[in-house]
Parts: sequence; structure tokens; C-alpha cells
Amino acid sequence: MSASQAGFSWQATAATPPTVWSRWFQTLEPEAELPTAAAQPISTRDRYGLRPLNEARIDTAAEASPPLGITSWAPQSLRVTTSSYEFAGSASAVQAVTPSADVPEVAPAPTPSHPRKHSRYTRLKPADETIKLADRLQVLLEPPLELLLENQSLDFPARPFPFQMDGVAFLYPRHAAMLADEMGLGKTMQAITAIRLLLRTSAARSVLLICPKPLVSNWKREFQNWAGELPILVIEGNQTRRRWQWRQPNAPIKIANYEPLRRDADIITDPALRFDLVVLDESQRIKNRSGATSTIARSIPRERSWALTGTPVENSADDLVGIFDFLAPGHLHASMTPQRMGRLAGDYVLRRTKAQVLIDLPPKLTRDADIELTAEQREAYRLAEEKGVLRLTELGDALTIQHVFELVLRLKQICNFDPATGASAKLERLTADLEELTASGQKALIFSQWVETLGVLKKRLHRFHPLEFHGGVPSHKRDDVLNEFRDDPKRRVLLMSYGAGSVGLNLQFASYVFLFDRWWNPAVEDQAINRAHRIGASGPVTITRFLTLRTIEERIDQVLRDKRELFEQIFAGAASPRTRLSQDEIFGLFRLKCPAGPIAPMPAPTSTMADMPLLPAQ
Amino acid sequence: MPSDSLADLPLVFGFLTVVQQPSVGLVGGYLLLNAQGRPLEFHCTAAVRANRTQEILYGPTLEPYLYGEQIGRTLFQVSKLQPVAIFTDRPAALSAAEHSAAPVWLVLNEAQAPEAEGSPGSATSVDSTASAAAMLRVDAAQTSPAPMHALRCGEHRLACRPADAARGMEDRLEAVVAGFDLAEPFERIRAAIDESQRGAR
Repeated sequence: MSASQAGFSWQATAATPPTVWSRWFQTLEPEAELPTAAAQPISTRDRYGLRPLNEARIDTAAEASPPLGITSWAPQSLRVTTSSYEFAGSASAVQAVTPSADVPEVAPAPTPSHPRKHSRYTRLKPADETIKLADRLQVLLEPPLELLLENQSLDFPARPFPFQMDGVAFLYPRHAAMLADEMGLGKTMQAITAIRLLLRTSAARSVLLICPKPLVSNWKREFQNWAGELPILVIEGNQTRRRWQWRQPNAPIKIANYEPLRRDADIITDPALRFDLVVLDESQRIKNRSGATSTIARSIPRERSWALTGTPVENSADDLVGIFDFLAPGHLHASMTPQRMGRLAGDYVLRRTKAQVLIDLPPKLTRDADIELTAEQREAYRLAEEKGVLRLTELGDALTIQHVFELVLRLKQICNFDPATGASAKLERLTADLEELTASGQKALIFSQWVETLGVLKKRLHRFHPLEFHGGVPSHKRDDVLNEFRDDPKRRVLLMSYGAGSVGLNLQFASYVFLFDRWWNPAVEDQAINRAHRIGASGPVTITRFLTLRTIEERIDQVLRDKRELFEQIFAGAASPRTRLSQDEIFGLFRLKCPAGPIAPMPAPTSTMADMPLLPAQ
Repeated sequence: MPSDSLADLPLVFGFLTVVQQPSVGLVGGYLLLNAQGRPLEFHCTAAVRANRTQEILYGPTLEPYLYGEQIGRTLFQVSKLQPVAIFTDRPAALSAAEHSAAPVWLVLNEAQAPEAEGSPGSATSVDSTASAAAMLRVDAAQTSPAPMHALRCGEHRLACRPADAARGMEDRLEAVVAGFDLAEPFERIRAAIDESQRGAR
């Protein structure tokens, strides 16, 4: 490399042999990255105060007999080579952010107005599958997740755990991903937040989420909770209606269960109906590659494919291959060794267990399972409510809270099981959850307020070898029941009544608590939950509270929620009171007013129905 | 740049840093972000390494020469968008201001931050004898370095050359950068440079 290539022009006088100087420069040559620069005139003084030794440039050809023995030097601009990348996706946000016509309800992101500092930043990282440097840089150059969420003004009803932020950062940039967290770690919330980001950043405009039927209402509610600004369209109804729904362009998020997937295969595999993202919840449903559901899911035209499951491998490694045929076709083969399969799947799968991510003693994760009644239950419920309300109305001034309470209990029982057929939407959901958690070796407590309900559950859940613990179990046998539940690995489920199982028991070895029906008083529920969630617990405890939609259960829950919310608004930071239903609120459940005059005596010591089990399990 | 014209510009911020890559040399990175902090353009240089001659002849001015005149100017030239302000975390890169229509501000970390005496948003001059000012001295050839102009802007501590302070941006700077953690984008640039270098290898 010559001196000029190094960014200099130089001249040597005859008194200083050029060969010597040349050698000197050669030994000090810069690295090859320094490019050639064109010669420039020498100025009398460069901007850094370095005065050249010669005021005038001396051409090489004219150096034959220089008048003085001087050496000239001048800085020259290096031609520094660069690599450039432009990111069109963000360009629209240079000016005011305008929502797309296809996603009309998604509010624009306002310019942030408060300086932020975070103790922890969750950085986005490109997937290994991302090959192009420009694509990888685009991910790396995105703001950290915390700033990305804030800049899009995405609020949360609760502060996500750091591991949940990691999960969002994992999903968001990926075109193929499986979130396989252990049950109860918030896969739903993580997926919703990642979807929300994709929509808000215009990286996606059309998302299809497919889940088991009992979970549709739960997803809908979770979307409302975590991303209330996003419009949701649930694909349901008769064929004509579904066909119309599938083709709705203005619904950025469509939720369907696995059944319409088969019935509407011709529509959703139509290339004209292309989704930016398809998410399969409980994706083990497609583990059988030859099954119709799996075939159709793989055929849905899409840009991104995500799978959510707590049990990516239920029976064999083939299960994982089946899911990967949806995520990244051909990436895994059944003939691979499990070790090789694990290596290849590594970058696509994020799985955390509670023990890994929830280090401090034990977080209590509560989730509301919103259940839609089966058709049989719905009809039985409708009839019972209509007749019941009519009777209450006819009672007139003779109406007492006891009458209302009886109707409430009757309706709550129907919410558990249809009295004629035994159909139970709650049981379907419970069974699905138990399959998952027992497969991972976990144990569960199931609470009900009725012995009869526990009896039915014992029969219907016989494959989980449930034990019972309630007032009907003789006292001298109760310790044996608890010991067997603790020590026998086959005994995964303990059916308990609130009365018998709410206090004085240490069941820390159970990681899951299901409230099959709800008690009147949250304090009693808390006591029941604390049988498992207490010091000494082996890990976090997940509480699932079943709630049937558009029923008396939902109305009671709403009243309690409103009261808690009001309390928290007024006394921010204070713990919620142990809210109970007042007499007026009980009447209000059926839009009835307290009759004028004295109220009939309450069977409880106060004027509330806080601890008033008319048909207790004990 | 006159403040009047800044008002007409979309909110684009430039972030310039230079990374010393072991055994390779200096790599400059220039990231342009929109008001939401999302990337619009990214430019980086190939590795640049001063030879011994340059080190001798430029002496203490070598870094400002390489960071500002060579790397900074080149990166500014290849960018398409015009930022309203450019931020750097490398004092030596302040010399790039001479090649930019937008003012170049140094984002000071805790160790660098001089004790600005004014209220938020107010400017104070920093004594050249202070250690912080010595760190910001960019022209060693001057017998009496010009004092840096320091600015407290919300939670940020910024400094610039006096000539940049006269560009009229200062009074609006706090409002403009209120939504930014100004130190954070440099981490992105460094990660992107690392990725680029890995790709090059």
C-alpha cells in the first residue's frame, strides 16, 4: 500500500532518499480497510493546527531538483467504506402514526411524554433462522421491549414478570416459535402481548388464534384484559355466518376453535385468505401429523407460525415433530435422535418451569377460567332462572333473602352439571388441565362447596385416581387420605370441600388448586388456596377459578370485583377488603329490590351472606 | 441549524458512536431513530485503523480526526434522513459537528457528568480546568481549550461545543428528547456492529 493510499500525500527531498522513506511508510501501513483517497491540495494549516512543512504542493514529476530539502505532508480524507440499512417499517412513524385502514380500531401510538429509565432492559434478538444481515440488524436495532411497549403506550393490568417479558421478546421477532412454558406461567399473556406489539408496529395485520373450544371464552377475556384496544372476532355460528366471519378484513384478530378448522377447511386454506400470524394454543392437538386437524393447520396460508403448549412432548418425540411440521416443515424428522432433535429445536422453543423462573417463595398465580355452558346446561339454566325469578316476583312482600338464596344455589349447581344429562363445561376444562399437569407429575387440589359435586367429580375423574376429603370422610380416616395423597405418586388429585379443606392442612406438595365452584367469601377461598400456597411449598402455586359466563356466577363475581376495584381506587396500595355480598346486592343479582318493611331473618349472624352455606359439603 | 427550520423537520434523532474492535480497528455506527425510538436508518463503517504515521503526526488530535472527520462525516453523508439532533457517547466524536447540519450533543454518563448548576433545561459553562472538561477537550493543539457547554436536560446530562450551543436548539431540546433514554440506543449500535462484524467474518 502506498502512502497516498494511507491518506497522505508526501514528498521526499533528494537529501532524504525516497527509497528510505518508502520503506519507512511501508512498515507503518494501515490495515487494508483504509481505502484509497484522492490526492488533495495541501493547505497552509489544517484544522487541527498541523502546519505542513511546505506551503505549496510539489508534484512528484517536479521534484527533480527541489529548492529546499523539505518534506511535505498533508492530511487527506479517507474514503471510509460504509454499510447502510433502511427500515421502512418505522418510516411511517416518523410523522404522526396513522392506523391502517385494515386495522381501524387499533389506536395510534402517541409520542411519549415522560423520560423513562428502566433497571432492566429486555433486548430483542434475532432467531437463528434469520439469515439476512439486514433482517437480523432490524431486530437488534429495535428498542428494548420495555421501551417498545411504553412508546406504543401499551399498558398492562399488572406488571409482567421478567421471565414473561423474555417470553414476549422471544415471540415477537420470530416467524416460527413454540412457547412451551409450564402451565400457569402465563403463556396466554405473553402471546397476547407479542401479538399486540406486532399489530401496533404494523408488523402484522391479520392474526388467527386457534384453541380448544372450552378455552375460547378464556382467550377472549384475556385479550380484553391484556389488550383491550384490540377487536376480537370469534368464529362461531352456522356455516353461513362463519364464512362471512372468516372473510372479514377489519378484524385483526380472529379466534376459532379446532372444530371449525375442519368444517371450514376450504375457506381457511384459500390462499386469498392469508394470515400474518397463526397461533395454535394447546398445539399438542396437531401432534398426529396424519390427522385432519394437523393437515389443515399446516395448510393455512400464513407468514408466521407460533405454537403454545405446556406439554410439547406428551408421549414420544414424534409429538414434537408433528408440531414442527406446522412451525418449520421438514426441520425435524421422526428418525432423529432425541438429542439431535433437541439441538435443532432449541432456537425455536422457549420453555421455562416455575421452579426455574419463580425463585422466591412461591408466587401465587391466579387465573380465571371463563367457561361457556354446554348447550344442555344453558337450556336448563335458562328454564330454572325464568321459573325462579317468576316465583320470586310472585312472592311480593313475602319475598325473603332465603328465597333468593335458594335460587342462587340452584343455578350454581346447574353451572356445575346439567341435572338431566350430567353435561359439564367446567369438567371438560378441568379434565384438559388435569391431563396436562398430571403428565408433568404435578398434584392438584379441587375445591367445591357441595359433597354431591365432589362425588360426581370422583366418578368422572377416576382415571386420575382422585381422593376425597370432606365432611363425609370420618375423622379417623382423614390423615390416611392426606398421607396417601402426599406419598402415592398415582394419587394426583384431591377433592376437597371448602369447609373441611380450608384450614389447618399443609398440602404444599400440591402445585395446583382448582376452585370448581366459588365460595361466597373470598377469604374462605384464600384459606383453601393457602393449603398449597404456603411456606415450604416446593414451587409456585397456580390457582384456577372456574367461572361460567352469563350466569349467576359471573354476576356474583362482578359485584365482588367492582367492590374491590372501587376500594383500590380510593385507597391505592391498600389491600382489598374481604368483600362480601350485601343483602341489596343479593337481591340485585336478579334485578329485584328489597321489599319494603322488615326483612325476614337471615340464617347468618350478620346481614350479609358471607358465610352462609345452605347446602354445605361439610 | 436555525431553530426555525428544525420546527419543520420530523422528529428524527441521530446516535453516533465508535467502537474499538480488538485487532480490527475502529468501527463507527450511526443510528437514526424516530420519535418512538424505532430504527429508520443504520449505517456503519468498515474497520478503520490509524497507522503509526498518523498516530505520530496527529498526536492527541488523532481521535477527534478519526471519530469526527473521518467516521462521523462519512456516516452523515450516507444517511438520507436529517435528524434534529445527533447524540454521541464518545467525546472525540463531537468534532463531527462541523460536518452536520444538526447539533451534536455528548451524552454524559454518571462519571462524566459535570455538576451543572442551572435548573433543568438551563445551560451552564464548564470550567476547562475541571476534570470533566478535560475529558471533553477535543483540540489539544489549543493552548487554552474552549470550555464545553453543558446542559441538564431532564434526567440527561449533555454537553456540546460552544458553537453548537449557539444553534438555537437548546431551549427545545428537553421537550424533544423527553421520551428517550438517550444512553440506550448506543447499546443497540454496539450490538449491531458486533453482528455486522460477525457476518463479515
